[in-house]
Amino acid sequence: MALPFTAYMKEIFRVQWLGTFLFAKTAPLVTPSYSRGFPELTGKTCTHALFCMMACPAPGAIHVIRTPDGWEPRINSGHCIRCGLCVEACPNGVLASGRILESMFYDSTRLSFSFRIDVDTSLCMGCGNCAVACPVNKLIDTQMAYGGRASTDELLLRVNEGKCTVLHAEKCTGCKTCEDHCPNGAIRVARLLEAVHIPEEEV
Amino acid sequence: MTLLQAVKNFVRSKSIHVCYVDVGSCNGCDIEVLACLSPRYDIEQYGIYVHNNPREADILLVIGAFTPGWEDKLRMIWEKIPDPKAAIAIGNCPISGCLFDRPHTLIDPPAAKHIPIAAQVPGCPPRPTEIISAVLSVAPLVFRDYEVAKR
Amino acid sequence: MKRTVDVSIPLGPVHPCFKEPARIKCETRGEYVIAAEVELGYMKKGIERIMRGRPWQEVMFLAERVCGICSVIHNMVYIEALEAMTSIPVPERAALLRVIVNELDRMQSHILANFSYCYTIEHETLAMYLLDIRERVMDELERITGARVTCAYIVPGGVRFDLRGEDDLHLRAALAIIEEEMTRYLQMFATGPLIALRSRGIGILTKDAAREAGAVGPTARASGMPETDRRLRHPTYQKIGFSPVSRDEGDNYARIMVRFEEVLASIGIIRTCLDLLQPGPIRGGGIPGAGEIAYSGEAPRGELSYFIRTDEAGRVLDISIQTPSIMNIEACCHAMLVGVASLADVSSTFVSADPCIACTER
Repeated sequence: MALPFTAYMKEIFRVQWLGTFLFAKTAPLVTPSYSRGFPELTGKTCTHALFCMMACPAPGAIHVIRTPDGWEPRINSGHCIRCGLCVEACPNGVLASGRILESMFYDSTRLSFSFRIDVDTSLCMGCGNCAVACPVNKLIDTQMAYGGRASTDELLLRVNEGKCTVLHAEKCTGCKTCEDHCPNGAIRVARLLEAVHIPEEEV
Repeated sequence: MTLLQAVKNFVRSKSIHVCYVDVGSCNGCDIEVLACLSPRYDIEQYGIYVHNNPREADILLVIGAFTPGWEDKLRMIWEKIPDPKAAIAIGNCPISGCLFDRPHTLIDPPAAKHIPIAAQVPGCPPRPTEIISAVLSVAPLVFRDYEVAKR
Repeated sequence: MKRTVDVSIPLGPVHPCFKEPARIKCETRGEYVIAAEVELGYMKKGIERIMRGRPWQEVMFLAERVCGICSVIHNMVYIEALEAMTSIPVPERAALLRVIVNELDRMQSHILANFSYCYTIEHETLAMYLLDIRERVMDELERITGARVTCAYIVPGGVRFDLRGEDDLHLRAALAIIEEEMTRYLQMFATGPLIALRSRGIGILTKDAAREAGAVGPTARASGMPETDRRLRHPTYQKIGFSPVSRDEGDNYARIMVRFEEVLASIGIIRTCLDLLQPGPIRGGGIPGAGEIAYSGEAPRGELSYFIRTDEAGRVLDISIQTPSIMNIEACCHAMLVGVASLADVSSTFVSADPCIACTER
């Protein structure tokens, strides 16, 4: 028993179907709150500690730049992999992403940094570029000249008997300036990142 | 612009045919494009159809950092797409090389060196919602004022 | 003996059924496929070359991006290798959370593999059902770790985020739905007459051939080798207690059924873990030091091995990764694709071994 022609036409041109055909009903494109997005500024003051840049595994993803109002981290979205390590590393809570800050409070965890400087004495030729370039040395001895020779022992590193020697490794801030200035690649800085659980008494 | 061309452009912007090519990704962005097909995101309700034939496509989704195996092949795929066309870079890899853009790497990012890229979707990988909204926002711009070039 | 070959037909590198570029060269006589050869080399990024000389923390993120589908297990094996090397203790809660996230990742990977197979044999309804249920698994993964694909969840000495009380309830509720739906889809797959026509007795990998080619993972378990499951040697899994799934047929049907059953087994493992979870610390700290180790774990596709050598500051001096897909692709082109009755079955047989080209070439 074939249906009459008008029945087909009625089926095709029913209002509801035309509505969905011409104006597609779109599901809401929402991002859940627990998803880690690109880090956003929370409005707290950045103290230029640079831990975010040290923790970041992606090349060129985060830069702390100077603005008229002070320091401010900038995320380059084409490079950022949204791992959220900068959010965890920041001691001041400048950045926020997803539930990370909330989770860190909930789990009472934190990241601690330590640095380690290795000098390969077989490659080092005692030029002193590292000692002159080091920003920590600049603060301690403003008179420091070429060759990396200095009178005081309070320096982070200096050239001693033709080789670079590390005097106070605990003063290192992990900036890797020395590594960039070494012509031989003899000095290497390792940033040791450790995630620890804060005991309940300290919270 | 003739009326016929205007109607063509309007219809084209409502029915977007997408072809994707993987030029050396880690599969992450690949499966996020695949997840767009799933009933939850349902890419076809917006009039976006995923093809694997560049000759049927309007928009090319480029996924992945550019590996040496794709030297000149990506260009060939791009030239096979009929006008009007656009390419969208999905994920960090075609934009910047992501984590792989380091010393001793084999890749050659960005993809914009090889074909013109109209839009970029950052993220490693981007969420399906971000991919869909990128395609939807680029498509009308590509097809709005297109006219066949007079010989 | 000289073989008579009519035509050598290439499939790929850009093919609708393979999501990644790989070329299969099929030597055919008429409709019969006599032999096949898989040609790779479109995805080589040189990840191991990039990894050498970099600190462990950056290598952790690179290791995760070896494969985007099974990123959690790459993260887990790499971090557990570093932990075993420097003997960093892991809190019990963190060890269980690792297993939960790993099993969720295995579930989504297996569902995706089954989706690809159903899509390849043109059973799009089941494929879309599977892709829909995968979104639920991805939701749970995102709820726990904060990201859908590359989670960056496991760190030396623990995990990054805790499982909260409300997430626990949400996960249990989702698992109940997933289990019900997956059982339904399993029945659909097992009893569908058209599926059986395209799957049963096609691409047979016998037990001997599997052992010879070194097949691993679900591909080997479908050929009756349950002992290839590396989870049996993992301390946390041993504590939970689980038995690997295996079948004896060794055809496309068996490989997909093994994946279906492993998804159901994973749901059981996650439930056991949730019951065993006790409140406690999730991060113990610890910095990887110098050492040398070879460590392996069970990825969704099979055995995954890392060989790592580091210096005192935790820089990775030497690393080599062995991913499961390379063995499965070998098994696929030497045993499964020999004497296939029809050219149309080549793509579905290749997809049923769940090859991950990004893993293989890195």
